[in-house]
Amino acid sequence: MQAERRKSMAERRPSTLNRSSFSAERTGSAQVVPHLAGIEDPLPNSTPEKVDVVLVGTGLVESILAAALSWQGSSVLQIDANSYYGDTSATLTIDQLNQWVQEVNRGQSKCYDNAKLHISGLMGRGSYKSRDFGIDLSPKILFAKSDLLSILLKSRVHQYLEFQSLSSFHTYENDSFERLTNTKQEIFTNPSLPLMTKRNLMKFIKFVLDWTNQPEIWDAYKDKPVASFLVEKFKLERAQVYELIFSIGLCYNIDVKTPEALQRIRRYLTSFDVYGPFPVLYSKYGGPGELSQGFCRSAAVAGATYKLNESMISYNPDSRIAVFSDGSKVSVTEKVVIAPTQCPKNSGNVPEQKYEVQRLTCVVDKTCSEWFTEGENAAVVVFPPDSLKSGNRQAVQVLIMGSGSDVCPAGTSVWYLSTTESGVRGEMDLDAALGALEESIMRESSADPENDQGILEVDNQGHMTLNSVKLGQSFKEHSQREKLQVLVKLYFKQFTSTPPFEVVDPSIFDVDGAPNGKLIPGASDNGVIYTALPSAEISYDEAITAARLLFQKIVGSDDDFFDLDFEDQDDDVQMDESAVIDDDDVEKMNMNLGSEMSVEPVEFAGEMEI
Amino acid sequence: MLQFKLVLLGDSSVGKSSIVHRFVKDSFDEFRESTIGAAFLSQTLKLEKHEDVTIKFEIWDTAGQERYKSLAPMYYRNANAALVVYDVTQPGSLVKAQSWVDELKHKVGDQDLVICLVGNKLDLCEDNDTVRQVDMGDAQIYAQEQKLLFHEVSAKTGAGVAQIFQEIGEKVYERKATESAASTAHQSRKPLNVELQRPSTNDSTSCCV
Repeated sequence: MQAERRKSMAERRPSTLNRSSFSAERTGSAQVVPHLAGIEDPLPNSTPEKVDVVLVGTGLVESILAAALSWQGSSVLQIDANSYYGDTSATLTIDQLNQWVQEVNRGQSKCYDNAKLHISGLMGRGSYKSRDFGIDLSPKILFAKSDLLSILLKSRVHQYLEFQSLSSFHTYENDSFERLTNTKQEIFTNPSLPLMTKRNLMKFIKFVLDWTNQPEIWDAYKDKPVASFLVEKFKLERAQVYELIFSIGLCYNIDVKTPEALQRIRRYLTSFDVYGPFPVLYSKYGGPGELSQGFCRSAAVAGATYKLNESMISYNPDSRIAVFSDGSKVSVTEKVVIAPTQCPKNSGNVPEQKYEVQRLTCVVDKTCSEWFTEGENAAVVVFPPDSLKSGNRQAVQVLIMGSGSDVCPAGTSVWYLSTTESGVRGEMDLDAALGALEESIMRESSADPENDQGILEVDNQGHMTLNSVKLGQSFKEHSQREKLQVLVKLYFKQFTSTPPFEVVDPSIFDVDGAPNGKLIPGASDNGVIYTALPSAEISYDEAITAARLLFQKIVGSDDDFFDLDFEDQDDDVQMDESAVIDDDDVEKMNMNLGSEMSVEPVEFAGEMEI
Repeated sequence: MLQFKLVLLGDSSVGKSSIVHRFVKDSFDEFRESTIGAAFLSQTLKLEKHEDVTIKFEIWDTAGQERYKSLAPMYYRNANAALVVYDVTQPGSLVKAQSWVDELKHKVGDQDLVICLVGNKLDLCEDNDTVRQVDMGDAQIYAQEQKLLFHEVSAKTGAGVAQIFQEIGEKVYERKATESAASTAHQSRKPLNVELQRPSTNDSTSCCV
């Protein structure tokens, strides 16, 4: 029997603003968080008996959701069965990683499979400490113009974190690394590009920044692969086409449709130069694991309760009582949200995780600075389809992190390889990519110093750039002199209900666990909402959309989703939001407005400028 | 201005936040005070022993995450100083404080960290000393053994609070001064972090403007 419509939580639950004695009535503008928020009132000492929302798992999406709900005014209890934050997005030490692998292989988790970990004897001999490493289970890069970045700023979570730039994107072609030609300047000055190619590339870049307003150019190709569009419409050569699709667009295969690929290429180009001559950032000390911790802390400041080493036993949708592993119970006013990895025993509603992501993560005893831009500590290497000995059908994407990012000790680096290829083929592709990386780095790092001229180039403005084209070219002329020391090698398969998407579309995160009224007798998880595991996407592009969708489901509206404005007297960080939006930005906002691919509300488009 | 990260630790309800609140409130008129939203509290402090030196504390509150031992590694990372607080009227809260000291030394490594042990709620013992459950001598001996700074304070009356921050401030400043003197010789080029609140706007190498 369905009672009359309950008011949505947005209607019933006053936001933080209204509860606060500091502020006047809500006027529809962003709420102002008072001074000393979170430090003003000591928190109650007892375990809460009643909360609005229980979140099980501290993965990135759940943690963003916790912060959004807490600042909206909901009371939140967030737990994690692990002794650390992050769950599927965790950043782990070597000891924790070892434990994680054992748990994956012991458990009946339908989320991970086939985890294999090799730890070199060198690790045990005291040269390296377990906690000197921060290994991400799902490494991600952050585009400089993205909705996660604007939420990081808005929530002030960015102040808990440190960010560094990433500008080196390499495409692996014909057994060598080609560094991406990604700026106007580089295109003009690159001597290896014929004049005609330069012109065509420039023409394309100009077009793609405003592609949504020029459907007449691409309409005939909207259901066709972008490769044919680029070749036929812009007369681009194969090398440029591959760079655009795989390094700039970071697409998974050559079949990607024209509009999707254009959107992804544009993502890169509009992120370029937002903070400097690079499109992408990453957080130091670890990726999503660090961000999860930051959002959890933000939620805690807004009043959320945290318990690690705690799992849920069951939830009863009639009594609305959740029972936990330590024997405690809590009455839930609104919803229980669970990560599939942390579902209770005897669960019956976990959504099918039918998409595979295969990952190979290695720690090697090479700095890999050969692959980084001067002053940076990370690079992206992409192996396009059919570039590997395994004849790969899907791209293999690699994120290389050097010790300057503080995820590994000096002299080492971490290689994160991933592919959307499934089954044995995926594992073979990863192995082939690892082999190619290994050959390349051994060749490059053992090159004679005399031959180094030409590798480091200084341009007319005194900028130094690393020329990995030259580094990579002479692949066959060198024989391998020594073998690469792999300190840690981790292989695993991860499953997710999120397909490898080309463009963020809210519908792909809509995982409605239990449709209304259909309860499974005896199941311990009737009436809960399940979140999705991280997808294969190498950027953070899904995180905010997924969290916002869940927020909307729970609260009834997304009006209050990080609708925050922190009171601030510090000139250093104070920014007048309206002041930084100039004509250019308005133009960009309009472009987003007109874009059918743009799924985020317009308000974000403007705020990204801050 | 030199900035230092200070973290608070101790059992729930020993008055960690109250101490900071008192420190920040009392200094309000005298020095510039600012919060950086809900991230952490910033408070500048003029050092008494060093003329013309003003430092800035970034004060991180546990936000309740200590209650179920759920503090994240992020909390401890790069901390320069820690206040480990106990309640002089709570038997056993010193023992808890000691376990936090161990935790800190394990997580941060004490060569970089100034730890100050603080007994709070001194005001409760003023009229009636039978309320006191933790002997000052016991705490002091422990602090000396562990090479910690030690103070008894009252966040309520403000007694002793300013001194804690003065002493910590001097100590972290002196450490920093010796450290930077030693390391200027071979300054390695460290990669610069990107400040997210400061987008670049007029770069000539731009590809899309």
